[in-house]
Amino acid sequence: MKFISDKNLRKWLESLMGIGSLIAPMDLGPGLTLFSQIRDPGDVNLEYETTPIPPKDLFFPSSEALFRFSPSRGYEIPEIDGEAFLLGIRPCDALGIRLMDFPFLSEPADPRYERRRRRTTLIGLGCIKARPECFCTSFGIGPFDASNADAFLIPVKGGFLAEARTEKGAKALAAAELEEASIPIPKPPEVPSIDVGAVREVALSLFNSPYWERLADRCLSCKLCAYVCPSCYCFDIRDYPIRDGAERIRSWDSCQSPLFSRQASGYDPRQTKASRLRNRFYHKFSYFPGEFGAFGCTGCGRCVRYCPVNIDVREVLLAILRGEAKVA
Amino acid sequence: MPKGSDPFLPLLAEVAEVRDLTPDIKLLRLSLREGRIDYRPGQFAILSAFGVGEAPFTFASLPEEGLEFAIRRMGTVTNALHNLGPGDLVGIRGPYGNTFPLEDYEGKDIIIIGGGIGIAPLRPLIHWFIKHRGDYGSLLIIYGARTPRDFAFSDEFDAWAGAGGARLELAIDPPGSPDWRGRVALVPAVVKELKPSPKNSIAITCGPPIMIHYVIEELRALGFSPGQIVTTLEAKMKCGMGKCMRCNVGDKYVCKDGPVFTADQISRLLEAF
Amino acid sequence: MEEIRAKAIELLRSGEVKCFIGYERASDGLTARPFFAYSADDAGRLIFDRTCAHNLARYLPDMRGQRVAILVKPCDSRSVNVLIQEGQVNREEVYVVGVVCDGVYKASWGQPSQELEARCLYCSRRVPVVYDHLIGQPPASEPQTPASIPEVEALERRSAKERWEFWRSHFARCIRCNACRQICPACYCPQCFSDQLDPLWTGIRIGLPQNWVWNVGRALHLAGRCADCGGCERACPMGIPLAALNRKLAGRVKELFGFEAGLDPRAPFPFATFKKEEVL
Repeated sequence: MKFISDKNLRKWLESLMGIGSLIAPMDLGPGLTLFSQIRDPGDVNLEYETTPIPPKDLFFPSSEALFRFSPSRGYEIPEIDGEAFLLGIRPCDALGIRLMDFPFLSEPADPRYERRRRRTTLIGLGCIKARPECFCTSFGIGPFDASNADAFLIPVKGGFLAEARTEKGAKALAAAELEEASIPIPKPPEVPSIDVGAVREVALSLFNSPYWERLADRCLSCKLCAYVCPSCYCFDIRDYPIRDGAERIRSWDSCQSPLFSRQASGYDPRQTKASRLRNRFYHKFSYFPGEFGAFGCTGCGRCVRYCPVNIDVREVLLAILRGEAKVA
Repeated sequence: MPKGSDPFLPLLAEVAEVRDLTPDIKLLRLSLREGRIDYRPGQFAILSAFGVGEAPFTFASLPEEGLEFAIRRMGTVTNALHNLGPGDLVGIRGPYGNTFPLEDYEGKDIIIIGGGIGIAPLRPLIHWFIKHRGDYGSLLIIYGARTPRDFAFSDEFDAWAGAGGARLELAIDPPGSPDWRGRVALVPAVVKELKPSPKNSIAITCGPPIMIHYVIEELRALGFSPGQIVTTLEAKMKCGMGKCMRCNVGDKYVCKDGPVFTADQISRLLEAF
Repeated sequence: MEEIRAKAIELLRSGEVKCFIGYERASDGLTARPFFAYSADDAGRLIFDRTCAHNLARYLPDMRGQRVAILVKPCDSRSVNVLIQEGQVNREEVYVVGVVCDGVYKASWGQPSQELEARCLYCSRRVPVVYDHLIGQPPASEPQTPASIPEVEALERRSAKERWEFWRSHFARCIRCNACRQICPACYCPQCFSDQLDPLWTGIRIGLPQNWVWNVGRALHLAGRCADCGGCERACPMGIPLAALNRKLAGRVKELFGFEAGLDPRAPFPFATFKKEEVL
């Protein structure tokens, strides 16, 4: 591994900003850090705790125009070009992007997502502290897991250890003044792990358990868990009329919304709050693994931290594994 | 971005003809301005009313008959489509979904059971079976609607029940149509009454979910095995490609794994449809 | 806490209620979360302390048709009244267990705090306005109502342009996750204006103009109906100071109509009552 000093970091960020746009964690208010487009390298906060929104919106924006259409001009499709550097993403969020690749890059691939993915270099950041909601080690990653990033930084005294993982990552690091690292890799923090291996099989037999109704008692049917989730990707598509045509908008949506699967006729296969809440967990831990071979969760714990009524995915997993959710 | 690589860009089509089928169902006949759409019965397309949005509709015609859709006025998109006239532009993308394995049904007696707008995906099948009469056994069509005016394609009834030798059984429910001389019954009750034989038969049904549920029950009671009962499901959809996560029923997507399912497959779905 | 458990056990055992809506310890071991107790066993999990910030009245419309008991703080009790007043809750179906309250902490999940929530600093009620059974010792007199609310005053002192910029920067962040709406006892509409497609108020688009319509529309719909439980602001993952808007509007309604939400379940609503002398 190489070393980049705090002193050289600013210069590096400036040169990255000369190549493309730089997106990194930035403080926006008390206790609020968000991945933002950086205008001044001094705004980058690489000691951030967490961001309510994962960096998924760089690839799958909360809202975007798929196209504009008018009978006279035909289709107009927003351009996606230029290079981008996504700096300071935690291993859980890098895994989130990898998980998002499954639905969006599988045939037929989503060209918008694909373009954004191709133009972006992921520069990961090791976690030197674990938060109380962290359980990333349950999903084969850990605080220093660099496997889903193009380049990876580990904070050490006076700077960062830096490692390129891909060609893209090497290119990004080439813009930095690197020194030979004389500092050993620090010990990563302990992150509790849940042995999720059996969840998929066990869950299938618990589908009709009253557990889901009890869990849903306090659920608000809001979409917060999905919007803060690095691997949730439900979306809605609707048109907005414009002067002489239409703008087709795609926005985030969530299977937790009571309107999500309700048909125009009023028929809804998931009418109850419990069936919707269950669908969220089954999608992550049963259907998604069945389709793509990986759990649809990164252990980032955002849903745990931000759910207004504390529906805690770790409790759900443990209830499933311990058989507390068994069919009465 | 080259258009062919963007699965969200609809092809442009013009409304060639609009026909009132019932007070709330219109037939839209489209002609493509560009490209082509090769589909097989059972599949569906996603139509755009530009400025309002998209919704999925099953092809209501055989490919060689042109692009026809039977659209019931239900929500904002269907309302907008109902307001279109000849020459108006619509978007169309597809085809999506699986198909009826028509070859597998060869030599078998066919029972078609439809209710309401559920006749839309069944119409191309009826046309197919009549056209290829020799390849199949007997053909029984049971079709129910709320009132006599709610039967779509009534102008084709003579052709369906004509020279081809199909038997057409119509029923309305609820009662209260003074001019109606036919059956007054719910579709599952008609199935129960007519007792089609399960022997070497395939029953294909489409209609409101509750009707499908009870039709399957009646057919099972008559001795049909779940593999002999085929239905086509409807779900709210946005993408049609298994990405927006809206139409899943348990671990199956109606848009990708369906919409055609056998009762056997349905019984193994985690969620009731 | 023991008194609450005992009351819950009594109500559940006697069959007087099917369910007792209260609080249990959250998964961080520090804060509280809503809890639905259906049995005496469940009731052992009930807690009450200054981390019990949720306004549980939000769950009452979901439980219509069943007899339930609910634990309310003074602010929450005003929401119960609003729901009764608006015909969303049948008073006969709800057994209200009121709790004397000295304010709740700002804590959020995993982040303990012993600082009082902003609203508790100027709250003038220690005793719920409606209850069937009261837990705790009411004070000899209720505290004085403050003339103004510091955060609202601070915003009022800014120029219109500065306020516009303030809300613009906050609304721009809104992700429209609906947590503020879904946690609000007064937001029970079967179809929210923001979900309506025709007319298209906001639609699905998440962007400043739509977010503006949503957040302002939400606040306006709550004028004269918000009990200032602060749930919306607490739920917001993006740190939007939603309660300040609610407080400003509550103040205006009080000024103009002398009306405060949820104090009297029989009082006519300022915005659902037309008086001939009112000038349009």
